[in-house]
Amino acid sequence: MKNTLRELRTGKGWTQEQLGQALGVSRQAVNALETEKHDPSLDLAYRIAALFERAVEDVFDNPHA
Amino acid sequence: MASWKTMDPAHKRYVIRTNLFMAGYVAVNVAAITGAFDQIIGTSAGVALGLCVAAPIAGQLWATLSLMNEADEFVRALTAKRFIIASGLAMALFSGWGFAESYGTAPHAPGWIIYPLFWGLFGLVSPFVKSSGR
Repeated sequence: MKNTLRELRTGKGWTQEQLGQALGVSRQAVNALETEKHDPSLDLAYRIAALFERAVEDVFDNPHA
Repeated sequence: MASWKTMDPAHKRYVIRTNLFMAGYVAVNVAAITGAFDQIIGTSAGVALGLCVAAPIAGQLWATLSLMNEADEFVRALTAKRFIIASGLAMALFSGWGFAESYGTAPHAPGWIIYPLFWGLFGLVSPFVKSSGR
């Protein structure tokens, strides 16, 4: 799923490891999200959106819109 | 592959559990190969010994399920995907070999081969299965 996670993360100056810790997931999971190898669960998508204080659809493209 | 230092706690526990269970599996088999159980081979006690070797295998499967419980959703999905592909391939290959024995002239393969075959295939498919979805 296309997303702006890498831009949001680097905008904060965080590493994948740091973002993973903030979200409670592994660095591999962050990398998989950024490279579109993993579609997040609704729960994780909301956690990411809340962390960056954005709406979910500002972070993840809605493929059905 | 993450180093021990950078590995997350769930993976560290998995590695420790795997090493412990596999140490038991290898120890019993090395002892059997070197003749430690020669007196009971071919007896009912030998059957019990054979079943005992399956205990570390069950333990290893528990370790894998524990990793999936303790890890994040990506690792869980990726492990499940790799596990299903590897077990499917192992079953297909081993069943195929069994039929080749029954219908052809393939030499007999002992049943215990399916376990190392499964993990060998798991290792083989893992570098190619990097996505949790399609």
